[in-house]
Amino acid sequence: MIRYILRRLANGILMLFGISLLLFILLQAAPGDYLSDLRLNAQISPETVAGLRAQYGLDQPLPVRYWNWVRSAAKGDFGYSFAYNGPASTLLWPRARNTLLLSVPAMLLSWLIAVPLGVLVAGSKWRWVDRLFSASTSTLLALPDVLIALLALLIALKTGLFPVGGMSSLGGDQQSSWASLRDLAWHMVLPVGALVLGLLAMILRHVRAGVAEVLDSTYMRAAEGHGLPRMKLLFRYALPAAANPLISLFGLSIALLLSGSLLIEVVMSWPGMGPLLLESILSRDLFVVIGAVLLSAVFLILGNLLGDILLYAFDPRIRNVVPSRAQRGNPIPKRDLEVRP
Amino acid sequence: MNLKTIFSKSGPSPAKNADSGFQKSWAVWFLAAIHLVVLLAGFIAPYSFETQARLYPYAPPTRVHFIDCQGKFHLRPFVYVTKIGENNPTEYTQDCSQAAGIQFFVRGDQYTLLGIFHSNLHLFGVDPAAGLFLMGTDGFGRDQFSRLLYGGQVSLFAGLIAAALSVIVGLFLGAIAGMYGGWIDDGAMRFAEIFIAVPWFYLLIAVRAFLPLQISPVTAFVLVVCVIGVVGWGRPARLVRGVVLSARERNFVLAARGFGASNSYLLRRHLMPLTFRVLLTQMTVLIPQFILAEVILSFLGLGIGEPFPSWGNMLANAQQYHVLVSYWWMLLPGLAPIPVFLAWHSLAEKLQERVKSNI
Amino acid sequence: MTSGDLGLAKSKTEPLFRVSALNVEYDAAGGDVVHALRGVDLEIAPGEAVGVLGESGSGKSSLALALMRLLPRNARLTSGSIEHRGAALDKFTDRQLRQMRGGEVALISQEPALALNPVLTLGTQLQDVLKAHTSLDRAQLESRCNEVLSKMGFEDPERILRAYPHQLSGGQRQRVAIAQALVCRPQLLIADEPLSSLDAATQAEIVDVLQRLRSEFGLAMLFITHNAGVLWSLADQVIVLREGEVLARGPIDDLQRSADPYVQSLLFPEKSVVAAQQTADAAAQPLLEVRNLSKSFIQRHFFSRKKFVVQSLESVDLVLQPGTTTAVLGRSGSGKSTLARCIAGFETPDAGEILLQGREQRSGARPSAGFAREWQEKTTRAVQMIFQDAATSLNPRFTARQIVAEPLEIALWKTESERAERALALMHEVGLDPASAARLAGEFSGGQRQRLALARALAAEPKLLIMDEALSGLDVPLQAQMVRLLMELQERHGLTYLYISHDLNFISLFAQTVVVMDSGRIVERLTPSQLARSQNPATLALVEAGERLHAPGVEAAV
Repeated sequence: MIRYILRRLANGILMLFGISLLLFILLQAAPGDYLSDLRLNAQISPETVAGLRAQYGLDQPLPVRYWNWVRSAAKGDFGYSFAYNGPASTLLWPRARNTLLLSVPAMLLSWLIAVPLGVLVAGSKWRWVDRLFSASTSTLLALPDVLIALLALLIALKTGLFPVGGMSSLGGDQQSSWASLRDLAWHMVLPVGALVLGLLAMILRHVRAGVAEVLDSTYMRAAEGHGLPRMKLLFRYALPAAANPLISLFGLSIALLLSGSLLIEVVMSWPGMGPLLLESILSRDLFVVIGAVLLSAVFLILGNLLGDILLYAFDPRIRNVVPSRAQRGNPIPKRDLEVRP
Repeated sequence: MNLKTIFSKSGPSPAKNADSGFQKSWAVWFLAAIHLVVLLAGFIAPYSFETQARLYPYAPPTRVHFIDCQGKFHLRPFVYVTKIGENNPTEYTQDCSQAAGIQFFVRGDQYTLLGIFHSNLHLFGVDPAAGLFLMGTDGFGRDQFSRLLYGGQVSLFAGLIAAALSVIVGLFLGAIAGMYGGWIDDGAMRFAEIFIAVPWFYLLIAVRAFLPLQISPVTAFVLVVCVIGVVGWGRPARLVRGVVLSARERNFVLAARGFGASNSYLLRRHLMPLTFRVLLTQMTVLIPQFILAEVILSFLGLGIGEPFPSWGNMLANAQQYHVLVSYWWMLLPGLAPIPVFLAWHSLAEKLQERVKSNI
Repeated sequence: MTSGDLGLAKSKTEPLFRVSALNVEYDAAGGDVVHALRGVDLEIAPGEAVGVLGESGSGKSSLALALMRLLPRNARLTSGSIEHRGAALDKFTDRQLRQMRGGEVALISQEPALALNPVLTLGTQLQDVLKAHTSLDRAQLESRCNEVLSKMGFEDPERILRAYPHQLSGGQRQRVAIAQALVCRPQLLIADEPLSSLDAATQAEIVDVLQRLRSEFGLAMLFITHNAGVLWSLADQVIVLREGEVLARGPIDDLQRSADPYVQSLLFPEKSVVAAQQTADAAAQPLLEVRNLSKSFIQRHFFSRKKFVVQSLESVDLVLQPGTTTAVLGRSGSGKSTLARCIAGFETPDAGEILLQGREQRSGARPSAGFAREWQEKTTRAVQMIFQDAATSLNPRFTARQIVAEPLEIALWKTESERAERALALMHEVGLDPASAARLAGEFSGGQRQRLALARALAAEPKLLIMDEALSGLDVPLQAQMVRLLMELQERHGLTYLYISHDLNFISLFAQTVVVMDSGRIVERLTPSQLARSQNPATLALVEAGERLHAPGVEAAV
């Protein structure tokens, strides 16, 4: 088991190398770099630009630059941000934290609501519940993220109940820590709400679909035949059996913690990774871009790994031996019996 | 008839009716209709996408009447000329004295259909003195309805073509990986994993932004499509590989080998048909995602640029607070994708049902 | 063995179940209505064992589900009534239903693997049933579970309680499923085809357990099956269902004297099969020779690097004479399937040779290069295989005609229309209606699909046909039909059969030579008539199981 984790981590690191290399090459292929804009400025002499270029090491060939970067990245230094005039790392961490401030509560809230609700809907015997569920989740899923973000902004503007954007009100430093916490929470409501709206529908559908499928299986019918109470059947028997795809989905939720809220952050001026990435891309701030993308890639890799570990922990079948070749290609279907009634 | 059909708790499964049900699906007709409409945008839209009615910036949607100010009923729908307020140029009222009937098959702005047909015949329109702004105008006085139709060309087809691109690339690489296995398989899947590992959206933005920003709309379109399509090939490839890999071991494939079948026969007769069904379902899932991708890219300024409309860049305007609060019609391009997505989702569900009930 | 023999006083109370004129209908796909049960009457007295005998589609499963009120949503009770101890079942409240299910009446179903929740320990599942019906404390719960498991023949109940279903074998799982049904000491056990997916020896074990339960606890039983053999030792009363109607009822001894041919065919399926010739022409050149064949598999644990080697075949020798049928018998895991797959060319042996008509076909010494290329040789088409599960051996998207004509198509035989004609002729030969040639494979029943697989194999004009448990998934009466068909085809085309199976059904009527395998080796070779006198433990186990289950055709050998 430990060896599996280590293997996956090694795989992940290789992946990160691959991604960073890909990005480096892309940037190399892109016309211009951060300093090319400066060159257009007539007041700055070409020598200054050349000097700056040499100082930042931008005139070195690609492999050299890449290798230098790798070396410093290993020490935690992700390079230099031209736009902000400082190390990229000091820029990235607070932004990442801000993003997590939005996405983690959104994720937790969505899962906490979606799982029990989805199970109950799946287990409901009434047709109308199903139809209502289907209609509302379909609609929610069809709402474009852009629209949700703009609507959140609109609500803030029109009702004045919530701040229009940003993470804190003016004069925030003078407040007491309790007051600034409240202020923060007040600013978080709309963005988190918007994120939850997007996540909720998808998770709900998966939960319901998974549980509904399990409810059709022989062992659930057998358990019902043994007279087990309904709630127990749903939550203790059906949900764990349906958990596999849900755990993978959970891993995916974690994987998207850093990157899923880009749009909301941009529209609501939340100082997270999203706006930073956008800015630095537009200004060709190389190291910040790579740092941001890599950071989210790390989350993705960790998220998937966590999903697999959770699968192993929760599903006893995974710990079994791999089926033979013949079995793998020919999963004996639920005995396509001609056992009709 | 087997146990599954009879004992399904949710009621009878589609099974035999699946094929006829497919044609009757509302989604197929709706999507076909909407794609046709946006293709004919030049004809159906009363104005071109760049025509500016300078006098009427941010005009609300023009109201179409059948009954006039005096209460008289007219058979032909008509509009009133919009009067600009004297003190406030942005205050619009209707001028009851000047009415203009809606004509059909009128001559108007020049346009090109599919790059081949030139014409200036429009489906409907009004006398140039009046304005027919069914969805209002934007800051430059451009008719939003017309722009919505033109924008639909971009957004809808970008998604469609990009998804097709992803799927084709994925099919090719996935089939090879699954069929030949070994290091080809390993290598291809590792490569695919990189594309799956990076947060899709970040990669999209990064890739797009690294390419030149000031380019012609056509080039931009092609670029956006390629970028979205290429970034998304990972999942279809893995899917196809999985199908091919497991299908190789299926008993009916083994039996065919026993009759002396060659690899190409197996691919052609057994494996490819299996993958097609899976890929079709995959496409209906990818298309709405890719449409959304284009919309967001354009919204952020990384997609199609002015003056050519895309639902995304039309929405970008709405980010300004005063626009958002006062001019609600500017949000309509955000509502436009909703029925389209509903249609694709419904199709995807139906296809998934078919695949499940047939395996 | 009636309840009178058990010394139980004839109960003065109401029968456990009284079914009167029951009609059940289903709404199936496509708007059809299926009449599952028509006017069925039945009574089960306390302590009585009632057998329900019928083929697929006779309605037997619906009966079981109806008694538990577990019919699916698209089923309806259109008329008639069911009474449980005098009270009308359809008036039961949810609570009463829950009390009855598991507490007074328990149901075990056909797939033991599927009846247990795969993600919960067996202990949890057993205890939950107890918790639903009793209010025992923790220690009492544990001791009850241990008790019921040891009654099932488990020597180490504690280990079983901590285990998950996939860690147990099929027979063990079925015994745990029975334990789960009985843990609350119900009065009636409804067993719906509980033996179908198990091999013969395991089936015999379960039958033993059930007999013990009857004799020790006076457990009443409703035993539903298509295999009459089991009922001889188990049932007091038997009703025969055909297409939803009760065709006959009575003690099984009375039924065997029934004049109805259908009842006869159910009770004595082997009577319809004419025994094969027992003489073999030993002078002719053998069709197939297997020398010193060995094959092992390496299985890896999912997360660790641990590998362990499974020796599937060890130094196996076999000779097949043309025109004969050789049966290969053994328990699951004895290597018989691997042997079949090696001969058919789907696996490469590690060592040894396989010669077809004297010519070497596959050799373990020389690792085969391109798998597909080798198959181009004409000789390989001479060996064809029929798989156990017809569902996976036919492409569900192909029509019947496409399936049967596939070998011809691959060989580019004649023209398209001639191929279609030949396909129809073959379908007719195996007993399928040529008019159904345009239907998709998925629309045929299991038995029909096996016939399609047979027709397809015949299209390749093979010399050797390997049947890898090809009939095990079919109802016993259906097996009889297929055996008859196979014997006809053998005579007409001069085919040689290699018949792999885990049970003795029809073997003695069908095969000239029997080969018994155990743990990858051939442990005995004999003729069917010698089976009963064998001293070999593996063979003995199979023969005993066959006797206990009254496997059709076993009496002929014994």
